Amino acid sequence: MRYAFGYAVLCLLLGCLSPTAMAQEKSAVRQGFALDPNSTKILLFRPKVTVGSQSTAGMFEPNADWTQQARDNLDVALAEAQQSLGNEIVGSVDVAGQQAESLAEYQSLFGIVAQSVIEFQFFPGNRLPTKKREGAAFDWTLGPGVSALASRSGARYGLFIFTEDQFGSTGRKIFQVFAAMGGVGIQSGQHKGFAGLVDLNGGDLLWLNADLQMGGDVRTIDGARRRVAQLLEDFPGSSISLAAAQ
Amino acid sequence: MRRALSRAIPPLALALPVAASAASAPADLPPYTQAYQPQGTDERGLWMLADEDERNLRDSKFVINDPALQAYVGGVLCRAVGEDRCRGVRIYLVRVASFNANMAPNGTMQLWSGLLLRVRSEAELAAVLGHEFAHFELRHSLAGFRQRRSATDIAAWASFLGQYGPAIQQTAIGSIFQFNREQEKQADLLSLKYAIQSPYSAQAASHIWQRLMGEADATALGRKQRSQRYDRVAFFATHPTNLDRATYLSTLSADVAVKPEAAESYSTALAKWLPEFLSDQLKLNDFGGTEYLLASLAGEHWTAPLLFARAELYRQRGNPRDLVAAADFYRSALGADPDMADAWRGLGLCLMRDRQQVEGTVALKNYIRLRPQAADISMLHAMIGE
Repeated sequence: MRYAFGYAVLCLLLGCLSPTAMAQEKSAVRQGFALDPNSTKILLFRPKVTVGSQSTAGMFEPNADWTQQARDNLDVALAEAQQSLGNEIVGSVDVAGQQAESLAEYQSLFGIVAQSVIEFQFFPGNRLPTKKREGAAFDWTLGPGVSALASRSGARYGLFIFTEDQFGSTGRKIFQVFAAMGGVGIQSGQHKGFAGLVDLNGGDLLWLNADLQMGGDVRTIDGARRRVAQLLEDFPGSSISLAAAQ
Repeated sequence: MRRALSRAIPPLALALPVAASAASAPADLPPYTQAYQPQGTDERGLWMLADEDERNLRDSKFVINDPALQAYVGGVLCRAVGEDRCRGVRIYLVRVASFNANMAPNGTMQLWSGLLLRVRSEAELAAVLGHEFAHFELRHSLAGFRQRRSATDIAAWASFLGQYGPAIQQTAIGSIFQFNREQEKQADLLSLKYAIQSPYSAQAASHIWQRLMGEADATALGRKQRSQRYDRVAFFATHPTNLDRATYLSTLSADVAVKPEAAESYSTALAKWLPEFLSDQLKLNDFGGTEYLLASLAGEHWTAPLLFARAELYRQRGNPRDLVAAADFYRSALGADPDMADAWRGLGLCLMRDRQQVEGTVALKNYIRLRPQAADISMLHAMIGE
């Protein structure tokens, strides 16, 4: 009890009580969805990639070099993976003015919707009433307005990628050992990511894969390949398996 | 920086933080120069996060897209801190109806519209801009990040120290907030230094905090809450108290030569946005605070937009006596500006509710005449029986 204050403050500071840490299911596909065989052009929105380390107390320490390496590696690995699926990936171009605003809005909206899916669908005990029913469909959407984003690129689908890697620092690892001796389990390092596919015609969320304990060191190209394989696990029409990538 | 650190961290926890700050080699260039690149893992990491955030902020719909106002605020910053410094900063005016501004380590400055509404002159604006710029020049984000890391590390290790642990943890956590307060004071003092060299009044800075205290008291009174105390510092306070800031800023600027405040030019520059910012303020549902703010903005002379805002405030509360007062304010606003369509609408609605059908109908008809395309026209037609 005496430690409660310190721990409570630490948790507040470090955000270690996030409900997403309890998510159980990892992915879902919209009912009856299969990739349109005639147009498999996929628009890749600028991936959100953050890499850094975790201080002894668990604070995130961003690292610009690692993040840049991860960005480059993930780009390569992603293009390879989609090519092997027969899909064409196009990057989102830098737009300006009204278009930039609407792009930014949809990127934020996707983030919110994906978080909602992770919190309120993937964790069964946390499900919203409409998602609780027996055989309830995986039914989430960004709305039809998203088609405006597609018109310029000619892409049929939009792919969103998010990864966040916190590698445990030496201090964190030593702290972990000491804590284990005292019988307290402490996590060192945190690797989470999610990927989602959106129908750019209607705005429906077609597939979402979220994993809060991902493998693959994204700072290396092999690790990035493994990460992409994991992110794209269960990708519609996918035959990628973890074993193949390893 | 080192001195501030040792003051901020209690002696028990001194060893680690000093080692951390010694590791930060002084960079050759100040961060506001064009050629400056962040140095070292920590600074480069923080700049990377700030760059990502700025990408999002740049396209946010909350950013006020008005090149004229943007250029005006940029000009005030340049006069406040000097032409050589101000180029390293990008200013984003963000539409949020609270008093705040912040500075990212990479030179992204956010100014909220609630701040623009409350600041009364170029000199006051310059004081705020100078304060934020000081955070940038002194690399406060970086120092704060390192201090936070050290303090939380100490708090983590202290959990092994049995009965002594909690006391050390509490001290370490407290040091984070104390360190932050020290940085805020440093930024205030550097801003004052800029002001002394700038064409603006150095005394203006303390006025801001005086008025904010008055407004906070009015808000508390209106909400029947206890007013805030300024005589002691709370454990989690990130800034010195407003009273503290007002006091040391006015003491330190007392002997500085009097220079212009440039209140006229400020209100001219803000005139176009004043009605919008006032309407945001009305939505905060803060009768006491808004009444205080309007009175302080008006001073001796109530202009049409301020009268209109006050009328809306009273109509919003909606007691029968408020409607009578609101109708008076609308009439005064219309006296100053007979083409203010929204004032005719408000007046009409007040009078109708007050059972003055005939006068109310006349007022609403004036609104319909001035705004034939407005969205609520058909509802108003129904009210006046047409």
